[in-house]
Amino acid sequence: MSGLFQVPWSDYRSDLLDALWRTVSYTVVSFVGAVLLGLAVALLRLSKAWPARAVAAVYTEVFKNVPLLAIIFLTYFGLASAGIRLDVFTAGCLSLVVFYAAYLSEIFRSAIGGVHAGQTEAGEALGLGRAGIFVHVVLPQAVRQALPGTNTMLVDLLKSTSLLVTVSAAELMSEGRLITSETFRALEVYLVISALYFALCYPLSQLLLLLERKVRAGVPLSPRRRRRVRAARALLAADLPTAADRKEAVA
Amino acid sequence: MTEPVTTAKTAPVARTEAVIRIDGLSKSFDGRLVLDDVSLEVDRGHIVSVIGQSGGGKTTLMRCVNLLERPDRGTVEVAGEVVHADGRTVCRDLPRLRRTVGMVFQKFHLFPHLTAVENIVLAQRKAGVPEPDALERAVALLRRVGVAHRGLALPDQLSGGEQQRVAIARALALKPEVLLFDEPTSSLDPESTREVLTVMRELAADGMTMLLVTHELPFAREVSDHIVFVDGGRIVEAGPPQEVLDRPAQARTREFLSSYGDPS
Repeated sequence: MSGLFQVPWSDYRSDLLDALWRTVSYTVVSFVGAVLLGLAVALLRLSKAWPARAVAAVYTEVFKNVPLLAIIFLTYFGLASAGIRLDVFTAGCLSLVVFYAAYLSEIFRSAIGGVHAGQTEAGEALGLGRAGIFVHVVLPQAVRQALPGTNTMLVDLLKSTSLLVTVSAAELMSEGRLITSETFRALEVYLVISALYFALCYPLSQLLLLLERKVRAGVPLSPRRRRRVRAARALLAADLPTAADRKEAVA
Repeated sequence: MTEPVTTAKTAPVARTEAVIRIDGLSKSFDGRLVLDDVSLEVDRGHIVSVIGQSGGGKTTLMRCVNLLERPDRGTVEVAGEVVHADGRTVCRDLPRLRRTVGMVFQKFHLFPHLTAVENIVLAQRKAGVPEPDALERAVALLRRVGVAHRGLALPDQLSGGEQQRVAIARALALKPEVLLFDEPTSSLDPESTREVLTVMRELAADGMTMLLVTHELPFAREVSDHIVFVDGGRIVEAGPPQEVLDRPAQARTREFLSSYGDPS
């Protein structure tokens, strides 16, 4: 065992930090893009116009049933051979966006469709417009529904950035391959690379679980809601049960 | 309280001004006629109760008032303005119409992601009420329906009766000229029903104009100026409670009332 760690890791520290940063960049940019595109596709699938629904359905089915690696090769090598030369960051993000948007659109569609029709009616009866109903009534409830699946996809996307090693995207996995070719210590290097992925993903998924729990418990997260609830608490001070009341009720 | 919580009754009692006027309304769903040439008026400060069997068109009739349902024929007039005529929506500003008409649903339909007080604030803010005023009014309304101590609870932490009272407060928040109640106690246990009916009785005493679909005949008799018996999409009989409930002229009305046992 004493011979396991022989790579001069301090020489690679700045390269590894760069690679780590690139992995995070791929993840953040691709995830934001995939959420936006996924939401757009989900809304198309819930549209009343059948051509819109058809386009969205075809999109979803195509990208759900083609491997991510094939999509990466198509956008980086395939498009290049057709004269559309994308740099590796653009091609990598594009691949991840179109692939994950397909999955996210399914999650969003069922979350939005799962909001009770009575909620929209209650919004209408209160004189809220279509946009107001979507933003203030449907979307917050859909987010609550969609959060667990979406969070899984985010962690999955982070791990999938490692596939970009095939186009030398200079992210963590590519850096691992580089160090291996210089040191010939595959076991040691890939153990360290795996540990780095774990160090990114585990805290992220724990954080997302915490967020899920808070949202489910109705904790106000936006500054506006927090201000409103705080102001309401002050106005309701005389009405709300005090700690002493609650103790009495339990006793 | 500095501010009257319900709509101030501006019209003198003697003046009979219809807040809702429905004329010759028909509506069918998939070829099935659910409303057949129905006419109805609700005067300011009056309470009209619609009774009848489930599936008889009562709820559809009520939903035509704020155009949650669009009638195929006939006219709907709210607060002196024709909003729907001959299958066409005449009203240009649906949100404004719906702020004139408050609605309380059988299944409450509170927004589950918002606390009770936020449920009452939301529509006010969208209607342009400044935040402090909207909050103050929400708190005043919560006190008025007796749920202020639960003001920061989420709907699923509230009992059915509490939820429906918050829903009534929410419907009152925009100072509507008329309130629609669609079987407001049909999802509630007897205790909760009593709480909700108490609030509605107070609203009635304050002169709120109300159109009510209900199975609570004793309550309807107590508060209503007018009872309308709807069956098979038509108005079978209408008149003051003593007439419709005690001396019904139509055999169908007698048959319906007999299913309740002694209607009083």
